[in-house]
Amino acid sequence: MPDRTSRFIWPILGLPGMVWIALFFLVPLYVVFCVTFGTVDPIFRSPVPAWNPLEWQFEQVVVVWDRLVGPNNFYLPPVLRTLLYVVVAVVACMIIAFPVAYFTARYAGRHRALILALLVAPFWISYMMRMLAWINLLQPDGLVNSMITLWGIIPLEVNWLSGNPFTVVMGLIYGYVPYMLLPLFAALDRISPSLIEAGRDLGASGFGLFRRVILPMSVPGVVAGTLLIALPMMGDYFTSDMLSKSPNTSMIGNLINLSIATPGQSGQAGALLILVLLVLLAPMIWYTRSNAKAEVRS
Amino acid sequence: MTDRPRPPISRRRLLQASAFAVPGAWVLSSCARAQPLGAPAPAASTAGGSAAASLPPLTEIPIASPQNPVKWPINPGNEPIASGLEPEMNATLRVYNYPDYVYKRVLKDFQKEYADYNVKVELSTFNDLPEALTKIRSGSVPFDVGFLTYNYMGKLVYGDLIRPLNHDYIPNINDVWEEFQNPFYDQGWQYTVPYTIYTTGIGWRHDLIPEDIGARPNPYDVFWDAKYAGAIAVLDDDREVIAMTILRNGGTDVNSGDPAVLGQTRDSMLEMLSVSRPRVTITGYTDIPEGTMSLSQCWSGDMITGQYYLPEGVDPALLRYWSPPTGKGVIGNDFLCVLKGGENPVMAHHFLNYMLKNDVAIKNLSFVGYQPPLRSLTPETMVADGYLPANLAGAIVKPEWFQVGYPLLELPVAVEAEYQAIWQQFKSGA
Repeated sequence: MPDRTSRFIWPILGLPGMVWIALFFLVPLYVVFCVTFGTVDPIFRSPVPAWNPLEWQFEQVVVVWDRLVGPNNFYLPPVLRTLLYVVVAVVACMIIAFPVAYFTARYAGRHRALILALLVAPFWISYMMRMLAWINLLQPDGLVNSMITLWGIIPLEVNWLSGNPFTVVMGLIYGYVPYMLLPLFAALDRISPSLIEAGRDLGASGFGLFRRVILPMSVPGVVAGTLLIALPMMGDYFTSDMLSKSPNTSMIGNLINLSIATPGQSGQAGALLILVLLVLLAPMIWYTRSNAKAEVRS
Repeated sequence: MTDRPRPPISRRRLLQASAFAVPGAWVLSSCARAQPLGAPAPAASTAGGSAAASLPPLTEIPIASPQNPVKWPINPGNEPIASGLEPEMNATLRVYNYPDYVYKRVLKDFQKEYADYNVKVELSTFNDLPEALTKIRSGSVPFDVGFLTYNYMGKLVYGDLIRPLNHDYIPNINDVWEEFQNPFYDQGWQYTVPYTIYTTGIGWRHDLIPEDIGARPNPYDVFWDAKYAGAIAVLDDDREVIAMTILRNGGTDVNSGDPAVLGQTRDSMLEMLSVSRPRVTITGYTDIPEGTMSLSQCWSGDMITGQYYLPEGVDPALLRYWSPPTGKGVIGNDFLCVLKGGENPVMAHHFLNYMLKNDVAIKNLSFVGYQPPLRSLTPETMVADGYLPANLAGAIVKPEWFQVGYPLLELPVAVEAEYQAIWQQFKSGA
């Protein structure tokens, strides 16, 4: 009897989640496909989705592909730029988050909950508000310039908001670093102190202990944090829009946003979106498979 | 019971699961419209309601221009309202407009003026016209009045989205400049009344750019001047930037479909990107006064309204605006219209008439900064009358400029696609 109950209870409990995914992920994803492979209203240039896959047309995908790898490949610079920004921002987030997460997990003691709460405090404020705050701070006569010029003593003029790639990457780091922190903390917190003790007993010194014990055991957290921030960063358009407004810092997300807002180009937006999805699917599958393998091993 | 690793999904299971997608697609398909709204065949408008059976196919829809003025058809079932009707009681008049493009006090005053009818004005905003059209077409909100632009007239009429006007309700049209009582985009003002007029030019703060931009042989060259790299911006509007580049290169047809002109324009715009690294934004009216930007392509009203965004202690006399003093630059106007999906067409007519009243239009000007084309506002005396400071006299639009200026017109679909491709390349930073 208990076996029969447990046979049904888990699928029933999982049902709302499955319905949720079907309604708010699979159906919208199918709509994206239908828009991408559909047609355009001849007057309003708005998308006319092709719901029947047999009626799908692939002109927009060809256009996007041509703009990526064809002779006039003007989609390529924002794609490469996005990859560069994301790699730099992820590495920077890692460098910032790892020591903080390690300290919180191992040494914060009874203040751990407070420190964690403070670390996730930025989540309480909307992303837009935080970016607006940076605009104020980075203005020519803002606090950042005042500080680096020692309130006017050093004759230095930096216009952070003039389409500066550094500002955009900084915005990405600032916006996403808490998302890196939490999985790192969870992974580091799970490392048994006895393993670290064992490492010490076997002669590992400070850096050796970190390299041979802590770092390998924190890999799942590093991978999870990397994926968690790299995926939304790849589609981010807001940071560049707010902190730069310059085409010289356009990312893939800005291209998709522009295509959505341009009449007649929703198919291209969909094609770009599918492209990003396919690119991101590879690390996701790799992550899922490596996790499954690790589970089997353990 | 312990969990155990599950085997990966088999191909057979995947195919079985995929089979469920077919009914799903059918369900989605059945939710969709049978035919796109803009299709040449009979199309029912969600927002409007009546069938536009007599509409010609797309290729026959005329493009209005000063050389080719258009009198739009009145679609069957979309006749003007009858004369002499009382405004609707307890109406919620839904007004649809750009942000910061109408003085809210003016709307409140309208409520007061029509207090006997207990009218409430509800303002909703859109960021750009494609967004506005999508929402109007969806019919999700029954907007009564739209603040729109004439290069969308064909879409509005042929999409059956606007209601023809009954002129009996709008006697204040007589106070409007004569050219707007019979505009090229709406001959006989069947559907629209003018709202504001503007030129597109260059705005800057003189303390940050201490140069008389207008004194340059070609003032538009400032956007290609490396000296101002990183400090300048162009409008986030494909038509405006392409038009400005055409004018800078010596052209006059800002609606050109000539591949040679468009190719040269694209090259110039990409050159601009590498030389001066402009930002792309429509917030020059706040960014220039606040000093986060020094110079921007902008509309004439931007600098007038920009006075109110100056930080404390900054002299309004520092703001400058230039557009060709001959009037041979980009010029345009926006209009007010009654939307067909609205529930209060009589009150909407009264609202249009109200917005054309002298005192109302002038009060509105004091907030939005954009000039209404009213007879009572004489361009030559606007500075003396205190409507704007002398340093912004260049932002005043003169009636004769509409004879020589270059309006941005609706484009044929293929040409529009070319413009969009240029704009995408520009905004990609390629």
